Amino acid sequence: MGDSKKTVVVVDDNATVRALFERSTEDLTLDLISFSSAEAAMEYLGENKPDLLFLDIIMPDKDGLTFLSELRKLPLHRDTAVIMITSKDYAQDRTVANELGALEFITKPMPMRAISDIITNHINNDNPYN
Amino acid sequence: MAKSYLRFWGVRGSYAAPFPTHLKVGGNTSCVEVNVDDHVLICDAGTGIIPLGNRLAAEAKNKELLILLTHYHWDHICGLPFFVPAFIPDWHINFFGPGESIQEMKQKLDSQMQAPYFPVGTETWMAKINYVNPRETKLSHGPIEISYYSVHHPGVTYGYKIKAGSKTIIYVSDNECQFLDKSIKQKMTEFSEEEQIMFEDMNREEYGYELETIRAADILIHDAQYTPEDYETKRGWGHSCYVDVVNYAIDAGVKDLYLYHHDPYNDDNAIDKIYEKCLEILQERDTSLRCHIAREGLEIPLD
Repeated sequence: MGDSKKTVVVVDDNATVRALFERSTEDLTLDLISFSSAEAAMEYLGENKPDLLFLDIIMPDKDGLTFLSELRKLPLHRDTAVIMITSKDYAQDRTVANELGALEFITKPMPMRAISDIITNHINNDNPYN
Repeated sequence: MAKSYLRFWGVRGSYAAPFPTHLKVGGNTSCVEVNVDDHVLICDAGTGIIPLGNRLAAEAKNKELLILLTHYHWDHICGLPFFVPAFIPDWHINFFGPGESIQEMKQKLDSQMQAPYFPVGTETWMAKINYVNPRETKLSHGPIEISYYSVHHPGVTYGYKIKAGSKTIIYVSDNECQFLDKSIKQKMTEFSEEEQIMFEDMNREEYGYELETIRAADILIHDAQYTPEDYETKRGWGHSCYVDVVNYAIDAGVKDLYLYHHDPYNDDNAIDKIYEKCLEILQERDTSLRCHIAREGLEIPLD
């Protein structure tokens, strides 16, 4: 663990979800970077590896499961910590996310305390892949 | 010039229901033909594609087809092993559906025609088979233009927007309407006042996006598998209650709604009752929406 601030990325087309993450992490020491589209997020992730990535599933330009599958093919992101955040509460999606190495699968709506707890828990622990 | 039309060949969800009590609506699973000047686009390949294939082979007009798959659940692909044009050498069949690669799409279709599930594999298809790159965001087939988006159903599932003739058709065979809305209402008392406001905003935004995807469509073909009573026990199975679908179509200013992907448990009488309830909703909401039951053999002009 270094002393530098951890980076958490949120990819969700819903502006209120992105605002919810901003509000939930106000008291945490981290860099929160949000993207409203899969395309913009992929451009950033092409060169950057966050400490934790939250990923929506139903997005206008690409579904999150396909996005995660593509991300895992990049050597930089074989072990990036990813948590799905979605309104799709289906076993089939959980299975696919799990096979793609998502650490958790949380369903909307998620309270602010739950978001801050999950982030705190993950960024205070080493990536379980390491 | 040939006529342009949309025809329902299979309207059931889950499994085929060829029971005497169901035949006014029809028993085949999902399949819709969109035909513009003999350019044939097929939405889904449930058992309804079998009689469609027989007709296409008999007529042998335009031998190049595009088959759009919403997803790979069996009620949407199980007609393919019996689709006659695939077994005729001079036919050309294009497939498009969810997936990351052509190989993945091919593997998903191949896997239902393998031992011990089926006696012959897709290598026995003699037509020229082409898998359209699933990364394409827009497609065309003759004069027909197609785009797609993700919907609320287990696994990656698409809804298709099809511009055919003078009409915009939205084909959403499987979609659980207003799932987030129900999740929020179910848990509302657990949230702080600030969270409640944020979640209501989140829900409004989400619903606004869903409305935009179907806004002012001429024809919306939408999953309406459940009654309110069914939905009590089947929430989270990936299908809609017809009440939510009718309200969704009204809110989006759709012109004609076709209730589709009927539950095979529901016989003709049950579906008649669903239709009556839908008419009551239309009257209550004083809307211009026209609501119809998708039934096998129903043909809609696209001119």
